[in-house]
Amino acid sequence: MDLDYSPVLDSWRFLLNGLELTLALSFLTILCSLTLGGAIGLARCYGPRWLAVPLVFYVDSMRSVPVLVVLVWTYFALPLVIGVTLPPFWAALVALTAQIAAYVAEIVRAGVTSIRAGQTRAAFALGMSRAQTIRTIVLPQALVRMLPAFGSILSITIKDTAIAAVIAVPEYMNRSQTVAGQSFHPIEVFTVAMAVYFVILFPVTRVVDIVYVRLAHLGRL
Amino acid sequence: MSAAAGEGNAVHRKGAGAPPVLLYRNVVKRFGALTAVSSASMEVRKGEVVCLIGPSGSGKSTLLRCTNGLELIDGGEIALDGELLPRDWEGMRRVRQRMGMVFQNFELFPHKTALGNVTIGPMTVLRMRRADAEQRAKAMLHKVGLADKTASYPAQLSGGQQQRVAIARALAMEPEVMLFDEPTSALDPETIGEVLNVMKRLAKEGMTMVVVTHEMTFARHVGNWVVVMDRGAVIEQGPPEQIFGSPTVERTRDFLSHLGWSG
Amino acid sequence: MNFDWSVVWRNADAVAEGTKLTILLAVTTMAIAIPGGIVLALMRLSGVRVLSSLSACFVELFRNLPLILVIYTAYYVLPVATGFSLSPITTAIVALSLNVSAYNGETFRAGIASIRQGQSEAAYALGMTRWQATREIVLPQAVRRVLPVLASTWVSLFKDTSLVSVISVGELAYTSMRIRAQTYRVLEMLTAMAAIYWLLGYPQAKLVDWINRRYAVNE
Repeated sequence: MDLDYSPVLDSWRFLLNGLELTLALSFLTILCSLTLGGAIGLARCYGPRWLAVPLVFYVDSMRSVPVLVVLVWTYFALPLVIGVTLPPFWAALVALTAQIAAYVAEIVRAGVTSIRAGQTRAAFALGMSRAQTIRTIVLPQALVRMLPAFGSILSITIKDTAIAAVIAVPEYMNRSQTVAGQSFHPIEVFTVAMAVYFVILFPVTRVVDIVYVRLAHLGRL
Repeated sequence: MSAAAGEGNAVHRKGAGAPPVLLYRNVVKRFGALTAVSSASMEVRKGEVVCLIGPSGSGKSTLLRCTNGLELIDGGEIALDGELLPRDWEGMRRVRQRMGMVFQNFELFPHKTALGNVTIGPMTVLRMRRADAEQRAKAMLHKVGLADKTASYPAQLSGGQQQRVAIARALAMEPEVMLFDEPTSALDPETIGEVLNVMKRLAKEGMTMVVVTHEMTFARHVGNWVVVMDRGAVIEQGPPEQIFGSPTVERTRDFLSHLGWSG
Repeated sequence: MNFDWSVVWRNADAVAEGTKLTILLAVTTMAIAIPGGIVLALMRLSGVRVLSSLSACFVELFRNLPLILVIYTAYYVLPVATGFSLSPITTAIVALSLNVSAYNGETFRAGIASIRQGQSEAAYALGMTRWQATREIVLPQAVRRVLPVLASTWVSLFKDTSLVSVISVGELAYTSMRIRAQTYRVLEMLTAMAAIYWLLGYPQAKLVDWINRRYAVNE
């Protein structure tokens, strides 16, 4: 098996652009899903009872359906329903956000409910309002506890952007496929791709672990 | 030098005349930079109840765990029935079968019933048949007063009951010596008595016992020999009357007075 | 735009076949990945430096790669590496098994490590060998800890089988999208595909919740 990495090297700029898109899509997805998921999670904890029903349905549905299916449906089928065609990148953003926000919502809900009721009682006894209690007592502790889970969300998001290749988003996976197809050296191209993704993903989880270890006492686990 | 670090040969001890069951000579155990046990020497005679007392961190539990090889010693020697303890895991494993250990937090196996906990040793290690093992187990549970709890799981038992099952579990292996690591420290005051009573009965039946304990009344009335440790060293040892009545070492007096011991 | 939902019923057989393959892929992968995970965990906890490092590297590698990439790479590398040309299904199972074994390896390792040291010590104090202590005392307790996580992993695996559609394995996603391409019934087929995954996945997700509640460990 003689390997020839020159096609990869020749296309490095092409691949690099793909990588930039991977990171951009990941970043935007995280931002949007943290916002949406955070809102949903808090709404489930502190919102009116009737709101929980559709929210739970949404969260559980996203847990049941594969990312690929959501991506494909958003890109190909949604336009037929709403009459608007989304370009691949934005379709991917919408689909990934919908999926990952559901996980974030669950993490937020679990984190908040894990703070002992005694903590909130103690805060009320001091005369704090509900909003103050949530903001200054519950959320800071809950956020620390949620850190490891957020780390894995980060990791999952970056990995899921690779699936967006399927709907022609020109991110790194997609670009690798193009180079592999054109150069007939798929092994070299994909092994480089594995190295690239590993180099991105491995530090992400490590950094989250380290930050968590530093801050864990604040969440008093 | 008084009898502080010596073996007290001059004092008549129970079981004297026969070689000691356990012999510790200058035992040293280190954990990294910390010396948990620094040159401990003592003897345990057959049928004796030896109580190890002292402040926390004095090395009492460590010395006990060195006895059955859960910790390997860094210096000195320990001998069981005149034979030095092996240095390898497999060799120690065989020796462990001759010693029973009771832990501070019972360490019953939660996925097995009381009967299951007591039979697992004989069945797995001694390769007894299930019927024989169960017979022996039932006898042991009866001995500790829990004949009616054979089918209960540890979660359904009180602390005192769990510890008694733990004692039965150790006894089922028919050990030559029983090691107790603060057996009552994790118990509610009401249940301490039932465990101590079992231990008292065992002592009366002539079991050789080494007990790390904070229960001074037990050491005073059931113990035959008391060893006082502090900061890894044996600072004094002797019969209970002497240790509790007229301790010779300052540190011993401090320790006992802190416990509010008035004799 | 008119929608013709009958296309779904007309192709029900093919869709059913695809669904069956999805289930088969998931079951086969888990059947390989559970023993695989146990082996990896025992290697990691073995105390033998070589085994421990190998296991750690394997687990870290597959946990930090997108599965879709692993699938593609397996598709191209395996024929060259083994000298055989493997069917897409076999390639798919290999890729999925490697991935899920790594996750299970970490699950089992954490489960085994969470059993208090004192339990092993109590077993040793009775004279048990390391293997006897592991087999009789540690593993049975670890299974209880591990069950909820395995259930979650199963649900993820079930969904991830959709990814092997990219190497033309005829499971549910591939079959649905093929029919879509042939009939041009985009919304109907894709919605049907989503609906079937939902119908299969929703009860599984609820079951995982139940298992988590039932087997919650309270120390």
